[in-house]
Amino acid sequence: MTIGLEEYLALGAILFCIGLLIALTKKNTVAVLMGVELMLNAVNITLIAFSRFSASDVALSSQIFVVFIIAVAAAEVAVGLAMALVVYRNRHTISVDRTRLLRG
Amino acid sequence: MSDFGFHLAFWSLAAMTIGGATMIIFTRNLIHAVIWMVIAMLGIAGLYLTLSADFIAVVQVLIYVGAISVLMLFAIMLTPRAERDNAEGSLLIPAISVAFLLAVAMVYVAIDTDWGAVRDAPISQQARIIGESLINEYVLPFEIGAVLLTAALVGAIALAREDDEDKAIHAASLAAEAAADGDEPETPVDPPIVGESDAPGGGS
Repeated sequence: MTIGLEEYLALGAILFCIGLLIALTKKNTVAVLMGVELMLNAVNITLIAFSRFSASDVALSSQIFVVFIIAVAAAEVAVGLAMALVVYRNRHTISVDRTRLLRG
Repeated sequence: MSDFGFHLAFWSLAAMTIGGATMIIFTRNLIHAVIWMVIAMLGIAGLYLTLSADFIAVVQVLIYVGAISVLMLFAIMLTPRAERDNAEGSLLIPAISVAFLLAVAMVYVAIDTDWGAVRDAPISQQARIIGESLINEYVLPFEIGAVLLTAALVGAIALAREDDEDKAIHAASLAAEAAADGDEPETPVDPPIVGESDAPGGGS
């Protein structure tokens, strides 16, 4: 058995679902952000695997896409953690179950 | 590449990644969860190396292992009175079923589809080609990304700093919350808690 595209895609799918589970179940905002980061990294693994196993004239486009994904993820984490700090300052908790001002 | 070494590298790095990600679910301490996330990110960087994407692997170590984990540790340390126990919320059973069904479906599709994979030799001098395309054909997304990062940094600073006008708004909202939501005694919504001088960030 050789390690090919399918193994990397399956690994990315499993990692995406673990990240989804973390993002849906965890109460702490920082843990939810960790789950989102894991999901983005799973997508990056998939893109890099397609980059390795595709024709070489289009292969590096997906690596450039991954660079942009990493930049946007860094911006998202910076703003998300700043929002978590603001919520903590106002409510003295960062639990997503107890932050429900917008619930009617 | 030698076949046995490649198999060993792939399976050990995959175990490191999946194991680190799984331990984020099971560990009870939030600091330990960040450490497990760092281990998973290092495994992902190694997987990029097995896919011969050296530039992306280095960027992964720099951004995720270096910057984002430290940022998350800062966020945990700056919220000292929040829950530190990394517990699950109320959505546990539906989330487990959704994630499990999605994993089964995606793994089945990934294994079953004929992707038409090409196994050429890997491209050499990737960093140079990526850099050249970033300032030639991808220069507009590159500049938009720069503007986005600047806006995100300015927005994060503007969100995280605190001034007197904000404090008045916080006091009013906490008082309204205490009046409307009085049935939860464990929520620390007493108005005197705003005036305490040991609030984080209050010394600026």
